[in-house]
Amino acid sequence: MKMKIKRTLEYVWIFLVILTIFAYLLGYLKLISTSLVGVLLLTTFIKGALVSDYFMGLKGVAGKYRFIPVIWLGVVIILIAIAYYLPVPATH
Amino acid sequence: MSKFIALKEKYPPGDFGIWIIIYVELITFGLFFIGYAISRRTNIEMFNSSQLMLNQTSGFINTFILISSSYLVAKGIYTMRTMTQDNIKESNTKASKWLAFAIVCGVAFLFIKISEFYHIFAQGITLSTNKFFMFYLLLTLFHFMHVFLGTIILFNIRQRTKIAGYTPDDYRGFESGASYWHMVDLLWIVLFPLIYIIR
Repeated sequence: MKMKIKRTLEYVWIFLVILTIFAYLLGYLKLISTSLVGVLLLTTFIKGALVSDYFMGLKGVAGKYRFIPVIWLGVVIILIAIAYYLPVPATH
Repeated sequence: MSKFIALKEKYPPGDFGIWIIIYVELITFGLFFIGYAISRRTNIEMFNSSQLMLNQTSGFINTFILISSSYLVAKGIYTMRTMTQDNIKESNTKASKWLAFAIVCGVAFLFIKISEFYHIFAQGITLSTNKFFMFYLLLTLFHFMHVFLGTIILFNIRQRTKIAGYTPDDYRGFESGASYWHMVDLLWIVLFPLIYIIR
């Protein structure tokens, strides 16, 4: 069990690095498009939730304390997405 | 039974006080992030053209550094949690090594960020240049101060591990510092795509 948790940290780190490279390549290669912003925000949520659960160690903590950072992350990312996707009112 | 397969803990790791600080920081930065996203709507072209002046590669390297340092600190915590009364000295020594690498990462982040600020300020950019740079400088300078403080906290924790100051019954201070460091990482995880990538 200990070995499993030890390895989990490595897997999480590798996954975080892969998602970070994905985000960087989207920006660096100027591939970012309106639809990909949604994907990028989703990967950001996944990264944040992984850090909260496995690095902060909140996965092993009772519900409300585990979910406070995840709820914060979800609310912030949803509001960023709304601000991005909501049509900008035309100026006269 | 190992602590890892025990029932869920009632409270998060570390002192409860540090979690109050973490929640306040998350709310503060969250408001800044949302403020940035809403302000961007008022002048999207200006935000996009200003963003091109940032170095995405240094942003990416700093993300990699912070994620890695967070991983290293988590390894240190894992060492503490698997410590027994028989291996206190060995566990503290091992945790000290993980922390040393994490501190190096923290210092590297600070140097890269200083270099980025130097290039930005050398171009005559200030808080009042435009709204994008106001948010960019406020957010990244504020975050920079948190990384600086976090690095000092990690350094102090490491000093205690060097004298085998943590025991299986008392490593709460280590957990508090680690939780703060992970928060710094969590904030950057949102900040990086928001400021450097999304356009």
